[in-house]
Amino acid sequence: VSARVGVVVFPGACDEEDALIAVNRTPGLEARYLPHGERDLKGADAVILPGGFSYGDYLRAGAIARFAPVMEAVIGFAREGGPVLGICNGFQVLCEAGLLPGALLVNESLKFVCRQVVVAVDSTATPFTSGCEPGEQLSVPVKHTTGRWFAPPKLADRVEAAGQVVLRYAAGTNPNGSLRDVAGVANEHGNVFGLMPHAEHAVDELTGSTDGLRLFGSLARHLSAVPA
Amino acid sequence: VHVGRLIELEVGGDERTVTARVEEMCERLLANPLIESYEVQATGAGP
Repeated sequence: VSARVGVVVFPGACDEEDALIAVNRTPGLEARYLPHGERDLKGADAVILPGGFSYGDYLRAGAIARFAPVMEAVIGFAREGGPVLGICNGFQVLCEAGLLPGALLVNESLKFVCRQVVVAVDSTATPFTSGCEPGEQLSVPVKHTTGRWFAPPKLADRVEAAGQVVLRYAAGTNPNGSLRDVAGVANEHGNVFGLMPHAEHAVDELTGSTDGLRLFGSLARHLSAVPA
Repeated sequence: VHVGRLIELEVGGDERTVTARVEEMCERLLANPLIESYEVQATGAGP
């Protein structure tokens, strides 16, 4: 039996379909949508907050989505240790919701950036990277204007010391000026993970890379090992 | 680069209650205290 992954759909999201496809291409996983108005997660074993521009990104990216009814269930699920993945806008939502440390600022260039980048796996202590090798490099695209991860120095030190930096841009390839080349961070327990690169767009050789499947494959392995 | 925004809210009540409510709104939604600072000014009755 495949593990169920809920892909949250916010008004203004645009990458939920690719997230659904990426999950469904992963043996052992089966995806279904979770509309923003839902009050429970419909039995999902893991949740993905996809990329896009939830609620038009008014005020700040992710600031409004964090109050969607479904987020109450997602926050409860995350606090109980359920695996939650936020990609791009989803990462921003998780930071705004206080589930991940730091915040995403406008790129150093002040411009939208869209390109393939290489990220290195810094931590394998998350359900999404547990199948990767430490230091493994992944080729994945980024496409964002507000992707510069930031945390005040003390918080950044704490995140670093606790091993919560999960992905880092390869030296010299940081596309947004993020602090310490951070591309993705996890919470203290490792079950909540947010990243700017779009792993769900890197699941077919046709578009240049299948490295994104490393993250979804890790999740499948993690969920099959967890007793239901 | 420094970017700011001005948010005008009409909130009824005495100044202390209003300021407290608006500060709570700032903490929860209007500002992200990690990356933004804010200042609340009560300006009396609106137009």
